[in-house]
Amino acid sequence: MRARRWVAAAGTFVLVMAACTPGGDDDGDEGGDGGGDGGGELVWAIGGAEAQPGGVHQQVAELWNEQNPDNPIRIELLPEEADQQREQQALELQAEGSGFDVLGVDVIWTGEYSENGWVESLEDVRDEIEEASLPGAFESATWGGELWAAPYNTNAGFLYYRTDLVDSAPTTWDELCQTATTTAASAGIGGFIGQGAQYEGFVVNWLEYYWSAGGELYNDDQTEVLFDTEIAAEATQFMADAISEGCYAPGFNTAQEEPARNEFQQGNVVFMRNWPYVYGLVNEDTGSPANGNFNIAPLPTFEGEGTISALGGFNNAVSAFSDNTDAAIDFVVWAATDPEPQTMLATEASVPPTLQSVYDELDDPVMALLGEILPDAKPRPPAPQWNEISVEMQRALHPAVNGQADIEQAVETVRTFLEGTIE
Amino acid sequence: MTEMRTAPTGDARADRGPARTRRKGLSERALARLFIAPSLLVMALVALFPVIYAIVLSLYSYTRRQRTGFGGLDNYVDALTDGRFWSATQFTFTFTVTSVAAEFLIGLGFALLMNQTFRGRGITRAAILIPWVIPTVIAAQMWFFMFNVTPGFINNIFGLGDFSWLGQPGWATFAIVFADVWKTAPFVALLLLAGLQTIPSEMTESGLVDGANAFQRLWYITLPLLRPAILVALLFRTVDALRVYDLVAVMTGGAFDTESLSVLVQQYVVRTPNPGYGSALSTITFILILAVGMVFVRMLGRDIVVGRGAER
Amino acid sequence: MSDVATTPDREIAVTPRRNGARLWGKTGLLSVILLWCLFPFFWLIMTSLKLGDRALNSPDLFQGPFGLGNYGNVFEQDFHLNLRNSLAIAGMTTIICIVIGSLAGYALARLPLKRKILLLTGVLAVSLFPPVALVPPLYELWRNLGLLNTWEGLYIPYTAFTLPLTIFILTTFYAAIPKELEEAARVDGATPFQAFYKVIFPLAAPGVFAAAIIIFVTAWNEFLLASTFAPRNAEIAQTVPVAIAGFTGQVEFQRPIGTITAACVVVVIPMIIVALAFQRRIVAGLTAGSVKG
Repeated sequence: MRARRWVAAAGTFVLVMAACTPGGDDDGDEGGDGGGDGGGELVWAIGGAEAQPGGVHQQVAELWNEQNPDNPIRIELLPEEADQQREQQALELQAEGSGFDVLGVDVIWTGEYSENGWVESLEDVRDEIEEASLPGAFESATWGGELWAAPYNTNAGFLYYRTDLVDSAPTTWDELCQTATTTAASAGIGGFIGQGAQYEGFVVNWLEYYWSAGGELYNDDQTEVLFDTEIAAEATQFMADAISEGCYAPGFNTAQEEPARNEFQQGNVVFMRNWPYVYGLVNEDTGSPANGNFNIAPLPTFEGEGTISALGGFNNAVSAFSDNTDAAIDFVVWAATDPEPQTMLATEASVPPTLQSVYDELDDPVMALLGEILPDAKPRPPAPQWNEISVEMQRALHPAVNGQADIEQAVETVRTFLEGTIE
Repeated sequence: MTEMRTAPTGDARADRGPARTRRKGLSERALARLFIAPSLLVMALVALFPVIYAIVLSLYSYTRRQRTGFGGLDNYVDALTDGRFWSATQFTFTFTVTSVAAEFLIGLGFALLMNQTFRGRGITRAAILIPWVIPTVIAAQMWFFMFNVTPGFINNIFGLGDFSWLGQPGWATFAIVFADVWKTAPFVALLLLAGLQTIPSEMTESGLVDGANAFQRLWYITLPLLRPAILVALLFRTVDALRVYDLVAVMTGGAFDTESLSVLVQQYVVRTPNPGYGSALSTITFILILAVGMVFVRMLGRDIVVGRGAER
Repeated sequence: MSDVATTPDREIAVTPRRNGARLWGKTGLLSVILLWCLFPFFWLIMTSLKLGDRALNSPDLFQGPFGLGNYGNVFEQDFHLNLRNSLAIAGMTTIICIVIGSLAGYALARLPLKRKILLLTGVLAVSLFPPVALVPPLYELWRNLGLLNTWEGLYIPYTAFTLPLTIFILTTFYAAIPKELEEAARVDGATPFQAFYKVIFPLAAPGVFAAAIIIFVTAWNEFLLASTFAPRNAEIAQTVPVAIAGFTGQVEFQRPIGTITAACVVVVIPMIIVALAFQRRIVAGLTAGSVKG
């Protein structure tokens, strides 16, 4: 009768479980938090490392709470991955739920959120924000000529290079590839690595070639397609050649940010395109061959003049279903324009702020370089269709770069798709 | 037991026989309904509403999340005329056939081994289960680390230099199949082990007396008796493999001809949401998988509705 | 190897040791299997012990420094609460599935029901719709019913989506039990329910326990619904896989592979113990059953 023992055990388990089920409903995000109790708490839905306990977003929230005890803000921690963050916000907003007041919005979601009516217009506070913020970051928060979010933090790509292997940073892509190929061969390591896996980062990398060759996607108010198939073919061809001629390190076409960083940190590559976060990590790692032997520079261009980078980062938007809209707007404006939280981002966490004036005060090398390149950095168009465009570009251009598809045809596919996004 | 396989389905009804039904018919029928009701109720309560909801959505046209009108079967036509759908279908079926076949062979081997007495079988049994209890998301991440050029454990161990498993068509598919086989062969093994345990030992012993060799015993006695368990294992592995998502999403993101149907569905539900088109793709995927599933259910139905016991 | 006998214990006695080659072959095969299954797990353990991200990402398994720091990080994040939630949710799913699935399986295998094949097809269909497409409507529904961020909100759908597998496994195993045993019990005056509970259920033990492990592991590892219906708050209902996916590095982009692997080891060890306990029942089932038969 062993079976009976198992039945008894199972029964006990059920009873114990039933007795100690935590009361989820009370403190979950049912309805509006603090909807009933006056002034009210704000909920800030944001994800990533810095939103974790101890992260800089938490410190920013604490700073706000000290100054605004009537409308304290609390972070609802979203997942690490951008797609999942967006999905969790979307589910709540689609249900017109007031669970979130302030939304951490990736720079490429602005158009989509405004089209869906999920976010409040910030036109009333536009001037204040426009004056203070970096132009690229500001642009990423607008869609259809209207401001939908307040810039919060930004990001731009750097060229990392090994100072023990090359004398100075190349200024053109061709020079970079030549140096990469020869140096890599003599040092017995890989040449150049960036983000070449099929995902959003690939589009970012491709756009940096395309833009730096003079290409554009849309005109300023995004009513006309300016996609140039010749320049696009040139950029794509450059990447295809970089693979076939060994300029890119072998893992390029499956690399996201972390594999690229690892190659660099393990001392396996001469050059790398990556975000500023790598700088601190390699600097801390005294065992790394790159430690003490690397520097950062602006990304090259095809002509050798200026630099261009795709912008990353997050803006703060106010949920259209918030029960506490005014306080939420106050918060996002404060977080965008007040030097205290903005400086905090840079000093406490090396998160690039969007407040222009902060860069004048800081002199660490990362912030100095950011201050130099951010004015020329370009946001991806924050159009409602951006995700569709990005998927289409990945699907057309990634095989072309990898020699699996015809380049001319691939760029033509992208052009046709872009044309289709203008009604 | 081989005669069981040749028994026509019609006999099922004959077997339940009018005589039996009359004797205890009413109470047995009522009992049957009573027994099956709770399961049907739970499944219907959870699944019915969202499935119908999704099917209804698939009939509407959307521009991203905004509904633009009733579109009838437009979304279905769009999906079925999109080359992407067909290449995803092709990959999904290639993946399913190869991975399920390998899982079956390896799982059967594991089950036969686990069913024996030998020194160290405790450790072996535990070891065989390990791959399967690791959460899929993490297993996928792990195999990415194994196969990818960076950090490149497999290349490092076998001295393959910078071989790019995940960075070229063909090998990328291989890597995904490999990871899936590693992860789920234990599932097949467990089900078959349970099946082996219900085979009365007299059956195999009679084989021993007849002087059949090990392979003959396996082929003529064990496998036919194991048939229902094999079919259930294959059925659920197949329908699961047809919905493969995590491994593809983490290991290649669908690059190098490895986009699966679920990755495609996920794109239209989550990444570039279009509720109408996404639902239509889901419904088509559902119908495809159900069609495959029904083939198995028919084969299985013969075994379990007739019942092995009934033949004795 | 060639020795594919299906009876445990007895086989050894019937076939006395034939030759040494066989033993060697067996040992060789075992080593291959252990290597296949255990190498990745070994990787997991080694990685979880590595400190500093260069060691963590080195292709050399033995590149240090080593330490227990990653395990410290795991439990700093309320991971024991995630373990509790997962245990509760997977446990409830298993019990409910086995209880109601047993009844349904018995009815399908043994009792007179019309259109069983159609019924089985319908049951199967429940689990086949791409789950990602079911999430948005279910989210709305759960929101209105107040089931978000609760244990019930997870084990109810888990039960529904795992029942098809349960029912198929159990139906198959019930169908395999000789009818005479049941009939003998009936002749002795047992009601149909008693016949089921006292005779069939114990005899089907291998199938029942196999189903139980499978349900438990499936519910334990489920990610999509868990990450949508209870994405946050370990104190309430966040499960283990969601918590692991939520681990972040020190800075944006950095992947905390050390913490992830440490958490994975922490999770896998109790899982193996549970699975082994159940599995012992699978293998012991036959003997237990035959005593009764």
